Amino acid sequence: MPAMTAPILSLTGITKRYPGVVANDGVSLSLQAGEVLGLLGENGAGKSTLMNILSGLATPDEGEIVLGGATMRFHAPKDALEAGIGMVHQHFRLVPTLSALENIALGDPRHTRGRLRLRPLKARLEALASELNLSVPLDTPVGALDIGSQQRIEILKALAREPRILILDEPTAVLAEDERDGLFRVVKRLAARRVAVILISHRLDDVFGACDRAVVLRQGRVAGEGRVADLSREALVRLMVGGDVAAPSRSAEHAIGAPLIEVENLTVRFGRGDRRLEDVGFTLRAGEILGLAGVEGNGQHELIDAITGLAEPASGRVKHLYARPGDARLSALRAAGLAFVPEDRHARAMVPALSLSDNVLLTRLREPAFRRHGLVDRRAALALTTSLIERFNIMAPGAGAPIGTLSGGNQQKLVLARELSTEPRVLIAAQPTRGLDVRTVAFVQERLLERRDAGVGILLVSSDLAELWALADRIMVVANGRLKGPIAVAESSFAEIGHWMSGS
Amino acid sequence: MTHTLDARRALVGGGGALVVVIAAFGVAALFIVLASKNPFDTFAVLFGYTLGNAIGFSEVVVRAIPLTLAGLGLCVAFRANAFNIGADGQIMVGAIVSVALGLALPGWPSYFAVPLSLLAGALAGGLYGALAGHLRARYNASEIIVTIMLNYVALQLLAWMIRGPLQETMAIFPRSDALPPSASLDVIIAGTRIHEGFYIAAAAVALVYLLLNRSALGFAFKVVGLSAPAARYGGLKDRALIVLAMGLSGGLAGLAGSIEIAGVHRRLQDDFAPSYGITAIAVALLARLDARFVPLTALLFGVLHVGSGAMQRQIGIPFPLVWIIQGIVILAFLYLSYMRGRARAITPEAV
Repeated sequence: MPAMTAPILSLTGITKRYPGVVANDGVSLSLQAGEVLGLLGENGAGKSTLMNILSGLATPDEGEIVLGGATMRFHAPKDALEAGIGMVHQHFRLVPTLSALENIALGDPRHTRGRLRLRPLKARLEALASELNLSVPLDTPVGALDIGSQQRIEILKALAREPRILILDEPTAVLAEDERDGLFRVVKRLAARRVAVILISHRLDDVFGACDRAVVLRQGRVAGEGRVADLSREALVRLMVGGDVAAPSRSAEHAIGAPLIEVENLTVRFGRGDRRLEDVGFTLRAGEILGLAGVEGNGQHELIDAITGLAEPASGRVKHLYARPGDARLSALRAAGLAFVPEDRHARAMVPALSLSDNVLLTRLREPAFRRHGLVDRRAALALTTSLIERFNIMAPGAGAPIGTLSGGNQQKLVLARELSTEPRVLIAAQPTRGLDVRTVAFVQERLLERRDAGVGILLVSSDLAELWALADRIMVVANGRLKGPIAVAESSFAEIGHWMSGS
Repeated sequence: MTHTLDARRALVGGGGALVVVIAAFGVAALFIVLASKNPFDTFAVLFGYTLGNAIGFSEVVVRAIPLTLAGLGLCVAFRANAFNIGADGQIMVGAIVSVALGLALPGWPSYFAVPLSLLAGALAGGLYGALAGHLRARYNASEIIVTIMLNYVALQLLAWMIRGPLQETMAIFPRSDALPPSASLDVIIAGTRIHEGFYIAAAAVALVYLLLNRSALGFAFKVVGLSAPAARYGGLKDRALIVLAMGLSGGLAGLAGSIEIAGVHRRLQDDFAPSYGITAIAVALLARLDARFVPLTALLFGVLHVGSGAMQRQIGIPFPLVWIIQGIVILAFLYLSYMRGRARAITPEAV
């Protein structure tokens, strides 16, 4: 345990705003030499922004970084490196055809200026690796090595510059169970050498396996922090997903109708290490909101892709009872009454360079309403978009403006408006309120409830348990490769669902 | 920071094409000075010969016909973000098939033989392009590499054809027999070489404009080009669209090759369309992938190609100066689209 001395790093009131989003809102944290700090939070909670600020990829709008007693201002990654902050990115930055030795020499001008001087570096790396008991083949091309070895090379690469602080970004996301234990041992040894480690994760096991202290971010703010020894899993989940908010009042009773989607024995693969979400089964009915809860990255994304026909499941069946049997392509399901709000707004739900009206056409291109003489009826699309802008109160210069110029909340409003504009019978909405401001969140939630009352069957995926609790009629949870539930919210408790989410 | 980004965006936007042309001529002027000649005299000859008299200009139009067709084809592929560098190969394959058919159909009425042989050439070029598209869609093989390699395949195929199966009956020169008049395109303005291919190219401009800017397929190409995941989410078949875009692109190039033979050369020979496919890249890029501007940029490069002969004779500036200008145009647009990509990447959107 590190003694409480002056912190090696302290962040005070770090604020970073992007258009429409406050990514970090007055974040303060401190780090002692030799301490392992777990930084937890869902996607979009502000972890990446904070680490980008620390590693010089972004500059804060407000706040102060004090490192070893001196106030720092990083303008480029090189500044952070020189100040002694090393970073191991989640996606490795290695040249696959080069050896570990060459990769490590690559980023360091001390070894590459003028001519390559690899021998002294190799001796130094071997000493370092044996000291940390880090087994790394230095001469094999990196591309031929497994993920765990590549990660150790990344760590060694960062350590070769003798950092005072090492940041590991989601290091366990790509590792198998036994590799993870190996990583934790390395982290402990680093801490013993007085290196301060920040371990970013959204897995509770990482916190309990490797960290001394944990800081939880939610919606850009520090939601809580504490010594790991004093924390329970349930407490951490509550901090991550917003359970400290008083459980919101439940909505009134309403009629639940016929089954729309039946999922039977569905298994999907996800993650890089061939993880599986196995044997999923549930039925979505008309007039209900069925919530799918779970800490991010437990196969929700792949499950939704399998249900919407965008990907083949490993095994099992999905029956869309509202559609003609046989044709499970997304376009056919859409024609039968499916609407789909995917979680990755920028990558899939819209094309930032295209106008709002073209983004409305994105999913409605096939409809006769938007055809005239065999050509696209842009005027009809513009008219519809203009009315959607008005009805959904979207802040946009006009239907012809590129959607990429809008704030995140307004982009999401347009996506939702487009999906609801087809008068769907089924709506699958994944993280529809993520990254949005409070007012927009309420707006989106109201639209969902409105549609449910109108008899639409809604499958709502969210990692915000408070949201599901407020909206869903039944909730199911994915954790540890299995689906639990669904269970009627009325028959469950907030604590029980949180317990399921923590994987225990 | 924001300021420079805005400047970059402006350059990529409306006035960009003009800036690029001026810059390209500026660099060319530099090379002319290096060759100890006067750039103003050189450009005066270049433009005087091509735009200053009717015959010169008619030759520019003749050259612009295949460049327009091939350039339109590249607009289709580039819109779908498929980098077809293989228009040269598609031109040659199209010409080979169309000549083979034209020679095999002697005595057929021309209203039958001409469309048939041109269509066959377009189809052949289309299949040749679609092959590269298929390899990209199915195996993620870079269409850039594949189309460049297929250019060499087509080049060798042509060389073999005119020395083997399609060689003229006299078997003296490496060339095919002349197409019968019934399988050729007629000259439409007496005293020039401007042929009926002009009408076909004009019709193609209108059709490709409708396709790219007004049709559902054109919209789908654009979406696929900007974001394949969004296309899949939108219910579009992203892989099939790549194959189709490459097929249409190759089809237009194949048509260009067929028309160049049926309208100008009347027989297959080596180098009947010297690097038209590469020039067509500059044509399409300079037109900013807008079909309406393709004829204009095709005429510009027609001027350069036709005028360079006079330039060489009268000033002593060698022909490759045109390649320098062309290369600068292509590089400038690559740089601009790279910068545009960076500008997008730097602009922070939501986290």
